[in-house]
Amino acid sequence: MTGDARGRLRQRIDTDPDAVARDLFKLVLSIIELVRELMEAQALRRVDEGDLSDAQIEALGLGLQRLEEAMEDLKSRYGLTTADLNLDLGPLGTLLSDDQ
Amino acid sequence: MSGNARYVFAVARDLDVAELSGTHGFQGAAVEAVEHEKLAAVVCDVDLAEFGAEPLTRNLEDLAWVERVARTHNEVVWRVAAVSTCAPLRLVTVCADDESVRAKVDSLRAGLEDVLDRIEGRQEWSVKVLVAPRPAGETSPVAPATSGADYLRRKRQASDRRRDLSVEAEHIARDVHDLAHTHAVASRRLAPQDPRLTGRPETMVLNAAYLVEADEHEAFTAALHAAGEQHPSVTVEVEGPWPAYSFAVLE
Amino acid sequence: MSDIDLHASATGLQPGGAGQVSLVDLLDRLLGTGVVLAGDVLISLAGVDLVEIRLKALITSVRADMARRERAEQ
Repeated sequence: MTGDARGRLRQRIDTDPDAVARDLFKLVLSIIELVRELMEAQALRRVDEGDLSDAQIEALGLGLQRLEEAMEDLKSRYGLTTADLNLDLGPLGTLLSDDQ
Repeated sequence: MSGNARYVFAVARDLDVAELSGTHGFQGAAVEAVEHEKLAAVVCDVDLAEFGAEPLTRNLEDLAWVERVARTHNEVVWRVAAVSTCAPLRLVTVCADDESVRAKVDSLRAGLEDVLDRIEGRQEWSVKVLVAPRPAGETSPVAPATSGADYLRRKRQASDRRRDLSVEAEHIARDVHDLAHTHAVASRRLAPQDPRLTGRPETMVLNAAYLVEADEHEAFTAALHAAGEQHPSVTVEVEGPWPAYSFAVLE
Repeated sequence: MSDIDLHASATGLQPGGAGQVSLVDLLDRLLGTGVVLAGDVLISLAGVDLVEIRLKALITSVRADMARRERAEQ
Protein backbone atom coordinates (compact mmCIF):
# COMPACT_ATOMS: atom_id res chain seq x y z
CA MET A 1 0.00 0.00 0.00
CA THR A 2 1.24 3.43 -0.88
CA GLY A 3 0.08 6.65 0.71
CA ASP A 4 -1.51 8.79 -1.96
CA ALA A 5 -0.10 12.05 -0.76
CA ARG A 6 -1.82 14.52 -3.00
CA GLY A 7 -0.62 17.39 -0.88
CA ARG A 8 -4.00 18.93 -0.18
CA LEU A 9 -3.82 20.86 3.02
CA ARG A 10 -6.83 22.38 4.66
CA GLN A 11 -6.74 25.70 6.45
CA ARG A 12 -7.98 25.66 9.98
CA ILE A 13 -9.25 28.70 11.82
CA ASP A 14 -8.65 27.91 15.47
CA THR A 15 -10.58 30.38 17.50
CA ASP A 16 -11.83 30.87 21.07
CA PRO A 17 -14.66 32.80 22.77
CA ASP A 18 -12.63 36.00 22.97
CA ALA A 19 -11.48 36.03 19.33
CA VAL A 20 -14.30 34.30 17.49
CA ALA A 21 -16.17 37.46 16.43
CA ARG A 22 -13.03 39.03 15.00
CA ASP A 23 -11.94 35.82 13.28
CA LEU A 24 -15.29 35.29 11.60
CA PHE A 25 -15.43 38.92 10.61
CA LYS A 26 -12.04 38.57 8.96
CA LEU A 27 -13.31 35.55 7.03
CA VAL A 28 -16.41 37.40 5.82
CA LEU A 29 -14.38 40.49 4.84
CA SER A 30 -12.03 38.27 2.86
CA ILE A 31 -14.92 36.94 0.83
CA ILE A 32 -16.33 40.42 0.26
CA GLU A 33 -12.89 41.60 -0.88
CA LEU A 34 -12.72 38.67 -3.29
CA VAL A 35 -16.05 39.59 -4.86
CA ARG A 36 -15.10 43.27 -4.99
CA GLU A 37 -11.88 42.52 -6.86
CA LEU A 38 -13.66 40.24 -9.31
CA MET A 39 -16.29 42.92 -9.95
CA GLU A 40 -13.56 45.47 -10.61
CA ALA A 41 -11.68 43.21 -13.03
CA GLN A 42 -14.89 42.34 -14.82
CA ALA A 43 -15.94 46.01 -15.05
CA LEU A 44 -12.67 46.77 -16.85
CA ARG A 45 -13.32 43.91 -19.27
CA ARG A 46 -16.86 45.12 -19.98
CA VAL A 47 -15.54 48.62 -20.67
CA ASP A 48 -13.07 47.06 -23.12
CA GLU A 49 -15.83 45.19 -24.93
CA GLY A 50 -17.16 48.62 -25.83
CA ASP A 51 -20.87 48.18 -25.48
CA LEU A 52 -21.38 50.37 -22.42
CA SER A 53 -22.66 53.92 -22.61
CA ASP A 54 -20.70 56.76 -21.00
CA ALA A 55 -23.37 57.03 -18.33
CA GLN A 56 -23.01 53.32 -17.53
CA ILE A 57 -19.22 53.59 -17.35
CA GLU A 58 -19.50 56.57 -15.03
CA ALA A 59 -21.99 54.81 -12.76
CA LEU A 60 -19.85 51.63 -12.67
CA GLY A 61 -16.73 53.57 -11.71
CA LEU A 62 -18.52 55.60 -9.07
CA GLY A 63 -20.10 52.50 -7.54
CA LEU A 64 -16.80 50.63 -7.42
CA GLN A 65 -15.07 53.63 -5.94
CA ARG A 66 -17.66 53.82 -3.15
CA LEU A 67 -17.29 50.11 -2.58
CA GLU A 68 -13.52 50.43 -2.27
CA GLU A 69 -13.90 53.29 0.21
CA ALA A 70 -16.37 51.26 2.27
CA MET A 71 -13.93 48.33 2.39
CA GLU A 72 -11.08 50.59 3.48
CA ASP A 73 -13.27 51.92 6.25
CA LEU A 74 -14.23 48.44 7.44
CA LYS A 75 -10.64 47.25 7.31
CA SER A 76 -9.35 50.16 9.33
CA ARG A 77 -12.08 49.77 11.92
CA TYR A 78 -10.94 46.22 12.60
CA GLY A 79 -7.25 46.91 12.18
CA LEU A 80 -6.96 44.63 9.16
CA THR A 81 -4.64 45.07 6.20
CA THR A 82 -5.11 43.71 2.72
CA ALA A 83 -2.54 41.02 3.49
CA ASP A 84 -4.71 39.79 6.39
CA LEU A 85 -7.54 39.16 3.96
CA ASN A 86 -5.62 37.24 1.36
CA LEU A 87 -7.43 33.91 1.41
CA ASP A 88 -6.21 31.24 -0.93
CA LEU A 89 -9.25 29.85 -2.66
CA GLY A 90 -7.74 26.90 -4.50
CA PRO A 91 -8.62 26.99 -8.19
CA LEU A 92 -9.44 30.68 -7.98
CA GLY A 93 -5.93 31.33 -6.86
CA THR A 94 -4.62 33.78 -4.36
CA LEU A 95 -6.76 36.68 -5.39
CA LEU A 96 -5.48 39.93 -4.12
CA SER A 97 -3.00 41.50 -6.45
CA ASP A 98 0.36 42.80 -5.40
CA ASP A 99 -0.05 46.50 -5.13
CA GLN A 100 -3.48 46.74 -3.55
CA MET B 1 -5.66 -1.18 12.43
CA SER B 2 -2.61 -2.29 14.36
CA GLY B 3 0.69 -4.02 13.83
CA ASN B 4 3.89 -3.12 12.10
CA ALA B 5 4.79 -2.50 8.52
CA ARG B 6 7.85 -1.35 6.61
CA TYR B 7 8.20 2.27 5.50
CA VAL B 8 10.41 2.52 2.42
CA PHE B 9 12.56 5.64 2.07
CA ALA B 10 14.67 4.91 -1.00
CA VAL B 11 16.34 2.27 -3.14
CA ALA B 12 20.12 2.44 -3.37
CA ARG B 13 22.99 0.95 -5.33
CA ASP B 14 26.45 0.26 -3.86
CA LEU B 15 25.23 0.84 -0.32
CA ASP B 16 27.34 -0.35 2.58
CA VAL B 17 24.72 -0.97 5.26
CA ALA B 18 27.26 -0.29 8.01
CA GLU B 19 27.19 3.37 6.93
CA LEU B 20 23.58 3.56 8.10
CA SER B 21 24.16 2.39 11.66
CA GLY B 22 22.88 4.94 14.13
CA THR B 23 20.38 6.38 11.65
CA HIS B 24 16.82 6.43 12.91
CA GLY B 25 13.46 6.64 11.20
CA PHE B 26 10.14 7.24 12.99
CA GLN B 27 9.63 6.86 16.74
CA GLY B 28 13.29 5.88 17.08
CA ALA B 29 12.97 2.86 14.77
CA ALA B 30 16.31 1.77 13.35
CA VAL B 31 16.86 2.31 9.64
CA GLU B 32 17.68 -0.97 7.91
CA ALA B 33 18.37 -2.23 4.42
CA VAL B 34 16.43 -4.95 2.66
CA GLU B 35 18.75 -6.29 0.01
CA HIS B 36 17.55 -7.68 -3.27
CA GLU B 37 19.81 -8.49 -6.23
CA LYS B 38 22.42 -5.78 -5.88
CA LEU B 39 19.96 -3.10 -4.81
CA ALA B 40 19.04 -2.18 -1.25
CA ALA B 41 15.70 -0.80 -0.13
CA VAL B 42 16.19 1.47 2.86
CA VAL B 43 13.40 0.91 5.37
CA CYS B 44 12.27 1.23 8.96
CA ASP B 45 9.41 -0.22 11.01
CA VAL B 46 6.26 1.85 11.41
CA ASP B 47 3.02 1.39 13.29
CA LEU B 48 -0.05 0.87 11.12
CA ALA B 49 -2.07 2.84 13.67
CA GLU B 50 -0.24 5.85 12.30
CA PHE B 51 0.67 4.80 8.74
CA GLY B 52 -2.20 2.52 7.77
CA ALA B 53 -4.48 3.61 4.93
CA GLU B 54 -7.20 5.13 7.09
CA PRO B 55 -5.05 6.96 9.68
CA LEU B 56 -2.91 8.20 6.77
CA THR B 57 -5.80 10.00 5.08
CA ARG B 58 -6.33 11.95 8.28
CA ASN B 59 -2.67 12.55 9.01
CA LEU B 60 -1.85 13.80 5.54
CA GLU B 61 -4.18 16.75 6.07
CA ASP B 62 -2.40 17.75 9.25
CA LEU B 63 0.46 20.03 8.30
CA ALA B 64 2.33 19.42 11.55
CA TRP B 65 2.29 15.66 10.98
CA VAL B 66 3.31 16.05 7.35
CA GLU B 67 6.19 18.29 8.38
CA ARG B 68 7.49 15.81 10.95
CA VAL B 69 7.35 12.93 8.50
CA ALA B 70 8.80 14.93 5.61
CA ARG B 71 11.78 16.07 7.66
CA THR B 72 12.56 12.60 8.98
CA HIS B 73 12.16 11.17 5.49
CA ASN B 74 14.58 13.78 4.16
CA GLU B 75 17.16 13.16 6.90
CA VAL B 76 17.25 9.48 6.06
CA VAL B 77 17.36 10.02 2.29
CA TRP B 78 20.12 12.58 2.75
CA ARG B 79 22.22 10.13 4.72
CA VAL B 80 21.74 7.38 2.15
CA ALA B 81 22.46 9.73 -0.77
CA ALA B 82 25.69 10.85 0.89
CA VAL B 83 27.05 7.30 0.87
CA SER B 84 25.56 5.65 -2.23
CA THR B 85 23.69 6.26 -5.47
CA CYS B 86 20.19 6.65 -4.15
CA ALA B 87 16.74 6.88 -5.73
CA PRO B 88 14.31 8.31 -3.14
CA LEU B 89 10.66 7.33 -2.93
CA ARG B 90 7.91 9.87 -2.40
CA LEU B 91 6.45 10.48 1.02
CA VAL B 92 4.83 7.44 2.57
CA THR B 93 5.42 4.19 0.80
CA VAL B 94 4.46 1.42 3.19
CA CYS B 95 4.85 -2.31 2.56
CA ALA B 96 3.45 -5.08 4.73
CA ASP B 97 6.78 -6.87 5.26
CA ASP B 98 10.23 -7.46 3.77
CA GLU B 99 8.89 -9.85 1.17
CA SER B 100 6.55 -7.22 -0.15
CA VAL B 101 9.41 -4.69 -0.04
CA ARG B 102 11.34 -6.96 -2.41
CA ALA B 103 8.29 -7.28 -4.64
CA LYS B 104 8.08 -3.50 -4.71
CA VAL B 105 11.72 -3.22 -5.78
CA ASP B 106 11.06 -5.77 -8.53
CA SER B 107 8.11 -3.79 -9.80
CA LEU B 108 10.28 -0.67 -9.98
CA ARG B 109 13.41 -2.36 -11.29
CA ALA B 110 13.31 -1.33 -14.94
CA GLY B 111 12.90 2.34 -14.23
CA LEU B 112 15.21 2.06 -11.24
CA GLU B 113 18.34 1.11 -13.16
CA ASP B 114 17.80 3.99 -15.59
CA VAL B 115 17.27 6.45 -12.78
CA LEU B 116 20.32 5.30 -10.85
CA ASP B 117 22.46 5.55 -13.97
CA ARG B 118 21.18 9.06 -14.59
CA ILE B 119 21.90 10.44 -11.13
CA GLU B 120 25.20 8.76 -10.37
CA GLY B 121 27.88 11.37 -9.73
CA ARG B 122 25.38 14.21 -10.00
CA GLN B 123 23.40 16.36 -7.57
CA GLU B 124 20.28 18.42 -7.57
CA TRP B 125 20.41 22.19 -7.32
CA SER B 126 17.40 24.39 -6.76
CA VAL B 127 16.97 27.76 -8.45
CA LYS B 128 14.25 30.21 -7.57
CA VAL B 129 13.58 33.58 -9.13
CA LEU B 130 11.49 36.04 -7.14
CA VAL B 131 10.28 39.49 -8.05
CA ALA B 132 12.11 41.85 -5.70
CA PRO B 133 9.78 43.78 -3.38
CA ARG B 134 9.09 47.30 -4.55
CA PRO B 135 10.72 50.06 -2.52
CA ALA B 136 8.40 51.50 0.14
CA GLY B 137 8.00 54.91 -1.44
CA GLU B 138 6.14 53.72 -4.53
CA THR B 139 2.47 53.62 -3.72
CA SER B 140 -0.64 54.54 -5.72
CA PRO B 141 -1.42 58.26 -5.95
CA VAL B 142 -3.30 59.56 -2.95
CA ALA B 143 -5.56 62.15 -4.64
CA PRO B 144 -9.03 60.66 -5.16
CA ALA B 145 -10.35 60.02 -8.68
CA THR B 146 -12.23 62.95 -10.20
CA SER B 147 -15.09 60.86 -11.59
CA GLY B 148 -16.32 57.30 -11.98
CA ALA B 149 -14.71 57.11 -15.43
CA ASP B 150 -11.44 58.44 -14.00
CA TYR B 151 -11.53 55.80 -11.25
CA LEU B 152 -11.81 53.05 -13.84
CA ARG B 153 -9.04 54.62 -15.90
CA ARG B 154 -6.69 54.54 -12.91
CA LYS B 155 -7.60 50.94 -12.18
CA ARG B 156 -6.86 50.08 -15.79
CA GLN B 157 -3.45 51.77 -15.57
CA ALA B 158 -2.60 49.94 -12.37
CA SER B 159 -3.69 46.67 -13.95
CA ASP B 160 -1.58 47.32 -17.07
CA ARG B 161 1.43 48.20 -14.92
CA ARG B 162 1.08 44.95 -12.99
CA ARG B 163 0.74 42.99 -16.21
CA ASP B 164 3.85 44.59 -17.75
CA LEU B 165 5.91 43.84 -14.66
CA SER B 166 4.61 40.32 -14.68
CA VAL B 167 5.50 39.80 -18.35
CA GLU B 168 9.00 41.17 -17.77
CA ALA B 169 9.49 38.87 -14.80
CA GLU B 170 8.36 35.87 -16.86
CA HIS B 171 10.92 36.69 -19.56
CA ILE B 172 13.69 36.94 -16.97
CA ALA B 173 12.56 33.64 -15.47
CA ARG B 174 12.79 31.96 -18.85
CA ASP B 175 16.25 33.40 -19.49
CA VAL B 176 17.51 32.24 -16.10
CA HIS B 177 16.05 28.78 -16.67
CA ASP B 178 17.67 28.49 -20.12
CA LEU B 179 21.00 29.60 -18.68
CA ALA B 180 20.87 27.14 -15.80
CA HIS B 181 19.91 24.36 -18.19
CA THR B 182 23.08 24.86 -20.25
CA HIS B 183 25.14 23.91 -17.18
CA ALA B 184 22.97 20.95 -16.25
CA VAL B 185 22.35 17.42 -17.43
CA ALA B 186 18.60 17.70 -16.85
CA SER B 187 16.12 20.21 -15.49
CA ARG B 188 12.63 20.28 -14.15
CA ARG B 189 10.35 23.26 -13.57
CA LEU B 190 8.17 23.02 -10.49
CA ALA B 191 5.13 25.12 -9.65
CA PRO B 192 5.90 28.49 -8.03
CA GLN B 193 5.47 28.20 -4.29
CA ASP B 194 2.41 29.49 -2.49
CA PRO B 195 3.34 32.59 -0.44
CA ARG B 196 1.19 31.29 2.41
CA LEU B 197 3.52 28.32 2.72
CA THR B 198 6.81 30.11 2.20
CA GLY B 199 5.85 33.03 4.38
CA ARG B 200 7.42 35.32 1.79
CA PRO B 201 5.31 37.93 0.05
CA GLU B 202 7.37 38.20 -3.15
CA THR B 203 5.96 36.60 -6.30
CA MET B 204 7.92 33.56 -7.37
CA VAL B 205 8.33 33.32 -11.15
CA LEU B 206 10.70 30.39 -11.33
CA ASN B 207 11.01 27.34 -9.14
CA ALA B 208 13.21 24.76 -10.80
CA ALA B 209 15.50 21.82 -10.13
CA TYR B 210 18.67 21.07 -12.08
CA LEU B 211 20.76 17.91 -12.20
CA VAL B 212 24.39 19.03 -12.24
CA GLU B 213 27.61 17.02 -12.57
CA ALA B 214 29.55 17.12 -9.32
CA ASP B 215 32.47 18.96 -10.91
CA GLU B 216 30.26 21.43 -12.80
CA HIS B 217 28.59 22.98 -9.77
CA GLU B 218 30.95 25.91 -9.42
CA ALA B 219 30.40 27.02 -13.00
CA PHE B 220 26.66 26.53 -12.46
CA THR B 221 26.43 28.72 -9.35
CA ALA B 222 28.76 31.37 -10.77
CA ALA B 223 26.66 31.73 -13.93
CA LEU B 224 23.47 32.12 -11.90
CA HIS B 225 24.94 34.66 -9.52
CA ALA B 226 26.04 36.69 -12.53
CA ALA B 227 22.51 36.49 -13.97
CA GLY B 228 21.12 37.74 -10.66
CA GLU B 229 23.35 40.78 -10.83
CA GLN B 230 22.31 41.54 -14.40
CA HIS B 231 18.63 41.68 -13.41
CA PRO B 232 18.16 43.88 -10.33
CA SER B 233 14.37 43.67 -10.54
CA VAL B 234 14.52 40.02 -9.44
CA THR B 235 16.30 37.94 -6.82
CA VAL B 236 17.92 34.70 -7.98
CA GLU B 237 18.36 32.08 -5.26
CA VAL B 238 20.53 29.01 -5.68
CA GLU B 239 20.51 26.18 -3.14
CA GLY B 240 22.20 22.80 -3.02
CA PRO B 241 23.59 20.24 -3.36
CA TRP B 242 20.59 18.11 -2.56
CA PRO B 243 19.81 14.44 -3.19
CA ALA B 244 18.47 14.13 -6.75
CA TYR B 245 14.80 14.09 -5.70
CA SER B 246 13.37 15.69 -8.80
CA PHE B 247 15.18 13.34 -11.17
CA ALA B 248 15.08 10.10 -9.29
CA VAL B 249 11.84 9.86 -7.42
CA LEU B 250 10.05 6.60 -8.03
CA GLU B 251 6.29 6.32 -7.73
CA MET C 1 40.78 5.51 -0.51
CA SER C 2 37.93 3.01 -0.08
CA ASP C 3 34.90 3.03 -2.38
CA ILE C 4 32.79 4.46 0.40
CA ASP C 5 35.06 7.44 0.88
CA LEU C 6 35.00 8.10 -2.85
CA HIS C 7 31.21 8.18 -2.77
CA ALA C 8 31.00 10.48 0.23
CA SER C 9 33.40 13.02 -1.21
CA ALA C 10 31.90 12.72 -4.70
CA THR C 11 28.33 13.41 -3.66
CA GLY C 12 29.35 16.42 -1.60
CA LEU C 13 26.15 16.44 0.45
CA GLN C 14 26.75 18.41 3.61
CA PRO C 15 26.08 16.26 6.71
CA GLY C 16 24.05 19.00 8.37
CA GLY C 17 22.40 20.06 5.13
CA ALA C 18 19.18 18.11 5.49
CA GLY C 19 17.91 20.37 8.24
CA GLN C 20 18.37 23.48 6.16
CA VAL C 21 15.97 22.61 3.40
CA SER C 22 12.71 24.52 3.80
CA LEU C 23 9.52 22.54 4.33
CA VAL C 24 7.99 23.87 1.13
CA ASP C 25 10.98 22.69 -0.89
CA LEU C 26 10.70 19.24 0.68
CA LEU C 27 7.00 18.98 -0.02
CA ASP C 28 7.52 20.10 -3.63
CA ARG C 29 9.70 17.02 -4.06
CA LEU C 30 8.14 14.47 -1.73
CA LEU C 31 4.46 14.89 -2.55
CA GLY C 32 2.85 13.72 -5.77
CA THR C 33 1.67 17.05 -7.02
CA GLY C 34 3.36 19.59 -4.79
CA VAL C 35 1.34 21.34 -2.17
CA VAL C 36 -1.95 23.05 -2.69
CA LEU C 37 -3.80 24.79 0.07
CA ALA C 38 -7.32 23.66 -0.58
CA GLY C 39 -10.03 26.27 -0.74
CA ASP C 40 -11.70 24.81 2.30
CA VAL C 41 -11.73 26.35 5.73
CA LEU C 42 -12.37 24.42 8.92
CA ILE C 43 -13.59 26.52 11.83
CA SER C 44 -12.72 25.23 15.23
CA LEU C 45 -13.87 26.86 18.49
CA ALA C 46 -12.21 26.08 21.82
CA GLY C 47 -10.54 23.07 20.21
CA VAL C 48 -13.79 21.64 18.87
CA ASP C 49 -14.15 21.32 15.08
CA LEU C 50 -17.53 22.75 14.16
CA VAL C 51 -18.03 23.96 10.65
CA GLU C 52 -16.36 23.35 7.33
CA ILE C 53 -16.77 25.92 4.60
CA ARG C 54 -16.27 24.78 1.02
CA LEU C 55 -15.21 27.78 -0.95
CA LYS C 56 -15.46 26.36 -4.41
CA ALA C 57 -17.95 28.93 -5.55
CA LEU C 58 -18.41 28.96 -9.27
CA ILE C 59 -18.14 32.54 -10.34
CA THR C 60 -18.89 33.43 -13.91
CA SER C 61 -18.07 36.66 -15.65
CA VAL C 62 -21.07 38.02 -17.47
CA ARG C 63 -19.95 38.85 -20.98
CA ALA C 64 -21.45 41.58 -23.09
CA ASP C 65 -22.97 39.14 -25.58
CA MET C 66 -24.67 37.18 -22.78
CA ALA C 67 -26.11 40.39 -21.37
CA ARG C 68 -27.41 41.37 -24.86
CA ARG C 69 -29.02 37.99 -25.39
CA GLU C 70 -30.77 38.16 -22.05
CA ARG C 71 -32.12 41.64 -22.77
CA ALA C 72 -33.34 40.48 -26.19
CA GLU C 73 -35.23 37.60 -24.60
CA GLN C 74 -37.17 39.85 -22.23
